[in-house]
Amino acid sequence: MSEKSILVVDGEQNVRTMMTQALEPLGIPVQTAINGEDALKKMETTTYSVVFLDLKMPGMDGLKVLRHIQQERPGVRVVIVSAHGSVESVAEAMKLGAVDFLEKPFTPTEVRDLATQILEREVLETSQVIHFPDWATLMHEPVSDRSIACARDIVCRAVSTGPSRAEAYTLLASLFEVGFQRLEEMKQLPKVKPTEPFIEGEL
Amino acid sequence: MKVILVGGDKTLYFLCRNFTSKGYEVVVINREQKEAVQLSRQLSAVVLCGDGSDPEILAEAGARSADAILAITPNDQDNLIICQLASLQFGVPRCVALANDPDNAEIFEMLGVTAFSTTDIVGSLIEQRASLEQITNLLPISGGKVNVTEIVLDNKSPVIGQSLKDIRLPEGTLIGVLIRDNQPIIPRGATQLLDGDHIVLITLPDSHGPALKALLGDTE
Amino acid sequence: MKKTGLYIVIVGCGRLGAHLANRLSSEGHSVVAIDLSESAFPGLSADFSGFRIEGDATQTAVLREAKVHKADVLIATTHDDNVNLMVAQVAKKIFNTPKVLARVFDPRRETAYAQLGIRTICPTSVAAGLFFDAISEDE
Repeated sequence: MSEKSILVVDGEQNVRTMMTQALEPLGIPVQTAINGEDALKKMETTTYSVVFLDLKMPGMDGLKVLRHIQQERPGVRVVIVSAHGSVESVAEAMKLGAVDFLEKPFTPTEVRDLATQILEREVLETSQVIHFPDWATLMHEPVSDRSIACARDIVCRAVSTGPSRAEAYTLLASLFEVGFQRLEEMKQLPKVKPTEPFIEGEL
Repeated sequence: MKVILVGGDKTLYFLCRNFTSKGYEVVVINREQKEAVQLSRQLSAVVLCGDGSDPEILAEAGARSADAILAITPNDQDNLIICQLASLQFGVPRCVALANDPDNAEIFEMLGVTAFSTTDIVGSLIEQRASLEQITNLLPISGGKVNVTEIVLDNKSPVIGQSLKDIRLPEGTLIGVLIRDNQPIIPRGATQLLDGDHIVLITLPDSHGPALKALLGDTE
Repeated sequence: MKKTGLYIVIVGCGRLGAHLANRLSSEGHSVVAIDLSESAFPGLSADFSGFRIEGDATQTAVLREAKVHKADVLIATTHDDNVNLMVAQVAKKIFNTPKVLARVFDPRRETAYAQLGIRTICPTSVAAGLFFDAISEDE
């Protein structure tokens, strides 16, 4: 899962440190932002799989940041981090589309388990996604990272969920194209004929 | 009867006056020297200046021979520890702590100390009193666990003309006595309720509201 | 115990509390520090990676906020013996915290609370012991 990354947005240094340390064992890059503005800036250049977002921050508050994220990066999964007793704000955040929440204080294990769960949930949900744009989004990351195995897995699920949909086959085709380009680069195969006929044979 | 009071302020002053007027022997422990001096002038009780949670002060106050200790300082932690020390080290038979934070009343009980919360008592009094003007008298017994209420039935009451045996009252409710034209009547199942009857109602906290509703109707 | 460390709640973030919090946090434990005032927290070092809660620990709501029911250890180190003794008892008897330690300045209260199963540490007794040891060493 090296193509994934996590952003931790919290106003308190000690919490950022703790969460970074807690998430380290997952082997996923973890970045931190000190407030809402900083977070949105970081999200312009990086697409994060999961964002841990503190509700109470100086300046732009968590709910406002969440609204921005939902508008501009609707695919990003946001986990709300809140202090004890802020039920109403959490409820509002969940309504706005946050995927889960974490109540302070929490242990490193709780953060790690939740992150793992959400990342796994993402993989599971892929089997239910049937719209082409979603597949394209899902495909984007593994393909650009050249993790062929992961991408192939997603497409195979796509094919099995909606065998009548042409889109999935198209994706499978492009995947093989990528795959062969890569293999060519690795020079593990002699430069043979283009891949077209092979794909048609597969299908 | 020998009672030790720990704390200060008006509550302590009036409690102490009440106890001494009943002929109790009272020892007051107060932390602030100024207040202690003032209390000793105003009250016919022995006043010690010191920390009530200090075993030496408790010993000096005669905790060994005390029948009861009341800790009513503004700090819950002090009240708890005073009572625990009095009970554990001096064997005082009745130790009662004031829980300033009403949540602590339950906590203290769980830790083996009898506790009361004025917030809870006053709160429930006001709640009950404010709910209906027809409720003319209220007496919480054992810290509000039982309520004795006097209510007056008017023509809006849904039970007018009904016999007691036909009225569905919630569990934990007892009609103690009826007062009609200044005459007390011990009610029986066949007794009919009339407009203007005064009812002395005994309820448990949970049944208090429903019982009032059953007898007086929805007044909101 | 677990490799991720223990969940430790420290009540009172004075010199002793802050010192314990910093050290336990740097050893990889999950630490929550509670103090009456925010001004106590600067005692926490830059790499303290736990939580801070501002509140009165004699109010159970505050202890609940700190999730004392999930804690492996609670340490009460405020400057008020009675606060420490009360918080320790609440943690032990009501939240069932497995390990509870309280600092108590007055050594005369140690015995009473040992009776109640509360482990107290009295700085005066500890220091006195060390002094006695040091004296006998020199002889």
